[in-house]
Amino acid sequence: MKRSSIAVLLLSAILLSIIATFLYDPYLLYSRFYEYMGMPNYQAAPNSKPKPDIGEITVCDEQYPEWRKPYTIGGIDIQASDACNPDNPYEVAAFVRGTNNVIMPVLMRTQLADDAVVKSNDIDGDGDPDDITIRVEVAELNGRSPDGKELIPGYEIAPGITPGAWVFAPKSRGMATVNRVDLTANHLLRLPSAPIRVEEGDNVTLILENTHYFPHTIHLHGVDHTYSNNDGVPQTSEKMTMPGEQHIYKIKPRHAGTMMYHCHVQVQVHMMMGLQGLFIVEENKPNNWLQTFNVGAGKVRKPSVGVLEGYEQEYDLHYQGIDTSLNNLIQTSNDPRQLAKKMNRLYDITDGTDDYFMLNGRSFPYTLRESLITVEPNQHTKLRVLNGTPEMLALHTHGHKATITAYDGVDVNPLAQITRDVYDVAPAQRIDLDLYTKDDGLHSYGEGVWLMHDHAERAITTDGIAPGGNISQIVYRKYLNKNAMASGEGEDVMPYFSPEYYKRNLPTWMASDVFGFFDDVGERGIETYKDVILVIVLGMLLAVLLLLCKALYSCLQTVVAKLKNKS
Amino acid sequence: MRPTVLLLLLSLFITSSYAGMRMGDWGMVMNENIEQLPQGCESVAGEEKITIKAGREYAKEFPGTIFGYSQHEFSFPKCTRVHVTFINEDKIRHQFMIHGLPAYLHPQGMFHMELYGEGETTGTFITPNTEETYLAHCDVAQHMEKGMKAQVKVGGGNGNLPSIPGISGQLNRDIYEFDTSFVNTLLTIILLLLGFASCLFFFIWRKK
Repeated sequence: MKRSSIAVLLLSAILLSIIATFLYDPYLLYSRFYEYMGMPNYQAAPNSKPKPDIGEITVCDEQYPEWRKPYTIGGIDIQASDACNPDNPYEVAAFVRGTNNVIMPVLMRTQLADDAVVKSNDIDGDGDPDDITIRVEVAELNGRSPDGKELIPGYEIAPGITPGAWVFAPKSRGMATVNRVDLTANHLLRLPSAPIRVEEGDNVTLILENTHYFPHTIHLHGVDHTYSNNDGVPQTSEKMTMPGEQHIYKIKPRHAGTMMYHCHVQVQVHMMMGLQGLFIVEENKPNNWLQTFNVGAGKVRKPSVGVLEGYEQEYDLHYQGIDTSLNNLIQTSNDPRQLAKKMNRLYDITDGTDDYFMLNGRSFPYTLRESLITVEPNQHTKLRVLNGTPEMLALHTHGHKATITAYDGVDVNPLAQITRDVYDVAPAQRIDLDLYTKDDGLHSYGEGVWLMHDHAERAITTDGIAPGGNISQIVYRKYLNKNAMASGEGEDVMPYFSPEYYKRNLPTWMASDVFGFFDDVGERGIETYKDVILVIVLGMLLAVLLLLCKALYSCLQTVVAKLKNKS
Repeated sequence: MRPTVLLLLLSLFITSSYAGMRMGDWGMVMNENIEQLPQGCESVAGEEKITIKAGREYAKEFPGTIFGYSQHEFSFPKCTRVHVTFINEDKIRHQFMIHGLPAYLHPQGMFHMELYGEGETTGTFITPNTEETYLAHCDVAQHMEKGMKAQVKVGGGNGNLPSIPGISGQLNRDIYEFDTSFVNTLLTIILLLLGFASCLFFFIWRKK
């Protein structure tokens, strides 16, 4: 091809590019173009996309609303609960009496094994049993199945969000899933690992039955226990409990307080996978029948005698974080050898960041179903807070300044107690709070629906989408509606119950934005004669570029031929 | 309302001598069927006795599993009374649960044996008059996935279920790394060259 034709092609390419830019936006070529051409014509911005249909949304998926009322089962008084999904009172009764002491119809209404909580022998003669045997198993949530893509047993922390997790759970019986078709985990298998309560001075036998496919132990963090074969630390005190084995921990705690338990095998992995829970030693009191497990944490339906002396009600609040690059590893393989390598050696927690933030095993809005703190005016509510995340927790209670009565299970001298509205809790630390609803402008600013959340701002999001994370509410009971939710004066919470919201598919202010000011923008199409010409010119430009390529190729060919001839 | 009705039903269920429910601190056997004939069976055609052992011991044979049964496939003729002896060799809970049986004989189609720890129990069921393969497994979380899965073929069955150790493969497959040892790499290269050469030869030969 001639050199002149290449020049022509180059020239036309440049010319077409200039025309295209001019058609697209002349001000890219020269910013003061309007001085010569006048102002551009009005062209309407694209219309908004129609508001997405979020389908039917269930705010409270209540199954047994009758469980909310107070019960007396087997002589055990069980407090009312305002939660959308309250604890099964029969199960609470079985935990309080012991699974060995309840009648068959009660046990049949739970899914507990007969030997889950065995209570006997009132040694000190104060009206409550002192020999307590507690059996815990290790369960996986949202694990992989070799038979399909569905996670088993399934557990949602928030709409459509199913990270992998491991938990300590009371020994159960029957199926791990609801049935063969619904692969959701049965209600005993859930985050967080169930809080355990024992009495000061009890002979407690805690049996770890390792039903999981990795080795585990239990370390009784802060609980008075002897060292030998009892501390749960594989490097120092005992061998790991292998799959299919059990380990017996024997304690007789001399000091009461809010403590914790966690697995001490590969702690940076196993604790973050969820093998951590509250372990509470209650003061020794007469007739002190304790609720050994508080499945799902939250409201304690049968508080101890000691707690009831100073408080009307009690809540366990367990904060946890999830790094999906760790937790979802269990969904990548069914082979434990591969999982062990990925989790222990390839995952690097120093590069990790948490994506999900949970209060009592759920993120907002599911916290509203289980973890509302419902109060009456002039009431003392005891909150036991555990920070199970690897970062600081800066818990903030709107409208209230609560008093920190204990750190790590040790009471604070009443004269030195601090009343504040942001409670900083270090990882693995526990604080006891006295939430006093006296409307005095200090302890409470009055009745209402008040937010309660970690003020480290990432923690109010679910993978960056707010509101999510560990947000919950302190609700004065008169604001509760029949759906067991708070009727506030704010925006509708409905869209947050749609999985689409956390998939980033719903405009954030969708429900409240009637004008559609902030809806998703539609795309631009070919609308004016300028657009038509622009596309045609772009087509021409493509053709010229193609021809240029061809010319360049033949040029190279002739060069090669010449070189060959020379040699 | 609902709790009282449930309670009544449950108490009926428990006191009934027919229900086939045994439970204790050892475990439980649920929905046993010793007497009742499945539809289409004129009589009990025969008796069979099997022993199933459960534990991590039986996982050794199958790499990548943690728990297992002593046997992962059972075959029975139709209308046969099967006496199952279930032995748990681990110190944790295991189950032997058969699914999909006729619901008029077994509530939810389930025959369920469970041991809370080391021990032994027995249970009985009668195979239906069908040619079907039934799922048997342990439904403690992740035990089936990690090896405790078996199949019960009645009247020859109707094929295999997926991911039964030693019998069938996974539908949601695990991915393993390539073996880069000398022999395996050499073999791979030879096979690749064989394919490459045969293809070249085929085209050149055709041209000629």
